Amino acid sequence: MFVINCPYCGERDQSEFNSGGEAHIIRPKQPTELSDDEWAEFLFMRKNIKGIQFERWNHTHGCRKWFNVVRDTTNDQIHAVYKMGEKPPKDY
Amino acid sequence: MLKINYPKFELNNFEDLNFKIEEPKIKINVRGKNKDFYTKIGKILSIILPIEPNTSTSNGNLNALWLSPDEWMIYLNENIFDSLFNEISKLNLGSVTDVSDQWVCINIKGNKVFDLLSNGSPFDFREFKNNKNHVVQTLLNHIDVTIHHKELNEINLFVRRSFSEHLMLWLNDSARFI
Repeated sequence: MFVINCPYCGERDQSEFNSGGEAHIIRPKQPTELSDDEWAEFLFMRKNIKGIQFERWNHTHGCRKWFNVVRDTTNDQIHAVYKMGEKPPKDY
Repeated sequence: MLKINYPKFELNNFEDLNFKIEEPKIKINVRGKNKDFYTKIGKILSIILPIEPNTSTSNGNLNALWLSPDEWMIYLNENIFDSLFNEISKLNLGSVTDVSDQWVCINIKGNKVFDLLSNGSPFDFREFKNNKNHVVQTLLNHIDVTIHHKELNEINLFVRRSFSEHLMLWLNDSARFI
């Protein structure tokens, strides 16, 4: 269990949030021109990093807003939280 | 509002804890972002919607609770839904939804209110209990609730109607051990 600092509501327990998986995945501009393998790569394949990972989280039981989190998957330490549309911090 | 029967609760009152169902009450969810929305809603309600997170504003019997940066819940006793809907929703300034039947308002008073809530919530009430007019959306006994700190040691707790009976049973049960 850990505490997440929601950019809208402030610090809350992890149980109020849901993880939305890896962040900053860009949807292909012309999906119809992709092969099945390329489409599957975009749709299903996700990094499973041991270390610093950029993730999307949703404050499901609070303000219901989506935001991004920089989390170390080895110890659940959260290094940064930033709103959707903002650029990720360059330090990681 | 629908002609609904609110769940029947056995309202036990404990030392330092007093439960009351505050129904029927009008609850309206408003959403909007632009300047015209704020101006219009301010004129209709004679109230400024709270912009600071986790706070509320009050104007006599009308209360506006902050839910998210572009969403508020207004609750009051008189029905102003039609005027809000006609002046905001119909003009596409924002959205106005009548959620009166979705939420049940439970008023809890007493010195041990926050001890009771802390029993089943992951939220840290230590700072919240000293700040009147603060609002929090969190979990209570795994149920989504919105808590409005109305007066010191008095809260209005909003819970979805389908969960209200279960939560009330839990509150009654849990209060015995505080």
